[in-house]
Amino acid sequence: MTALKAAPAINAPMGELRLDIGVRNGRSLATGQYHRGALRVLRPHYLDESGQVCYVTVNQGGAYLGGDLFTMDITVAEGARLLLTTQSATKIYRTPKAFAEQRLRVNLGPHSTLEYVPDQLIAYRGAAYRQDALIDMDESASLIMSEVITPGWSPDGQPFRYEQLRLRNEIRYGGRLLAIDNVLLTPPSAGTADFSGQPVADITGLGFMEGFSHLGSLLVVDPRVDAALVTELRMVLGEHEQDALTGISQLNGPGFVVRALSGSTPRLNTMMSTLTALLRERWFGQAALNLRKH
Amino acid sequence: MGTQPQMHPHACRESPAPPSYLLPLLQLSDSALPTGAFSHSFGLEVYLARGVVHDENSFAAWLRQFIGQQLVYSDGLAIRLTDEALGGAGSSGAGARCTGLDSPRFEEVWELDRQVTAQALPLQLRGAGIKMGLRMLEIGMGIFPSAALDAYQEQIKSGRCTGNAGVAFALTAHGLRIPLSQMLAAYFFSTATTLTQNAVRAIPLGQSAGQRVLRLIHDDVTAAAATVMTLEAGDLGAVAPGLEIAQMRHEYQRARMFMS
Repeated sequence: MTALKAAPAINAPMGELRLDIGVRNGRSLATGQYHRGALRVLRPHYLDESGQVCYVTVNQGGAYLGGDLFTMDITVAEGARLLLTTQSATKIYRTPKAFAEQRLRVNLGPHSTLEYVPDQLIAYRGAAYRQDALIDMDESASLIMSEVITPGWSPDGQPFRYEQLRLRNEIRYGGRLLAIDNVLLTPPSAGTADFSGQPVADITGLGFMEGFSHLGSLLVVDPRVDAALVTELRMVLGEHEQDALTGISQLNGPGFVVRALSGSTPRLNTMMSTLTALLRERWFGQAALNLRKH
Repeated sequence: MGTQPQMHPHACRESPAPPSYLLPLLQLSDSALPTGAFSHSFGLEVYLARGVVHDENSFAAWLRQFIGQQLVYSDGLAIRLTDEALGGAGSSGAGARCTGLDSPRFEEVWELDRQVTAQALPLQLRGAGIKMGLRMLEIGMGIFPSAALDAYQEQIKSGRCTGNAGVAFALTAHGLRIPLSQMLAAYFFSTATTLTQNAVRAIPLGQSAGQRVLRLIHDDVTAAAATVMTLEAGDLGAVAPGLEIAQMRHEYQRARMFMS
């Protein structure tokens, strides 16, 4: 279990990325860009005429290994709009000595937007991983971020053989702490033990995955979010409840969070993109997101 | 506060007096303390509606997960960090009494209040923590007044803090020099007692079944208090997703006895 506590070597990140997004001639694009090591971005592209720029991050190593640290520093300047995604699933291989880690710092200026839609996370047997995002946004900025966590991969095909996943998002909105979205999945000790130390519930069961295998989250902060919108989105979610268990709730400010349990990545992706399609259409006049990656 | 231990001559065969904090701790963790906890199920009612929790055993399973996989990471960790920020109950300097209320130690506590509210993503759960925090603070100020509790109320009035049951409990308990491990065990067991009473009414269960569940939960409470001591500050809010989803769904469940 030492890999759970041993931090990666912070003085030598495996990959670093810095991206400053601004606006030029009505279109958003990088005004500053730096990358080092195994992390880089593909050439920017535009999925529609809205001016929202799309950058795709690439992990050249293909996966995270034990002790790897990846850092991303994203700034979206006033009025700029960024869509950030990954080239493929984030894979965490076995981390025998120290956990792998990704740190994301985001700064959203006035009237800027970030849509962060990474591919699903796949932790291999024996993997320990931390993901830490600190998002500092202006009160007029807009944030949409989603995440899908799979039950991982193991040679014998058994789910939940990874050691631990920690995913923490901290949102500061207008300088004030708005939300801490913290997910901690530790399959070996997810259930409460009984007198003899035997687990009485495991990660697939009561309180955790409730019999499902995949966990999806959607976090949205935007001054246009109100109780009526949350109710409307809840109705939409209700139509995606076959083989799924979902919840939505308003944050302590103009934002909401969705948690969803289901049996597959596509099912959760469909659910999340149905919700974000409504927001993209209403707020930005954009069509549903189609990343055409696969 | 409390009774001073009385000195007895050696010849006296009476047993020594209990620690001065024992009775205050019993009073603070009594399920009759009017914090409004009886109005909250913390998501249990959703499990009842789904039929997942329906008897003594299934309720015990839920309660163990709620304490071990939610309370530990929210109120439990907040209680520990509050106590540590103030220097611990047994430390020299007698904790809050020798610490200026504008000191960085208190700033840490006020920041914890904001964090523990921010980590409660389900709206009703967040509301419960705030509401019960305000009640706990009021009760604390009424029976164990201290400058620290006054300062907390000031922070809340000015909008810099929201109020939280765990933080208010820890501030009160710290002023009474209650050791941290006992604060944690008492808080967890007190919550378990209230939730069991709620389950007795809502499932319903017999009173004897409720007492069996509470007996069963002793080891979980002890384990939960020990787990709190192993966590790091960044673990605050690492709540099991199924429990969170139930707490969110309670907002739109049709028939409801409870406020969360």
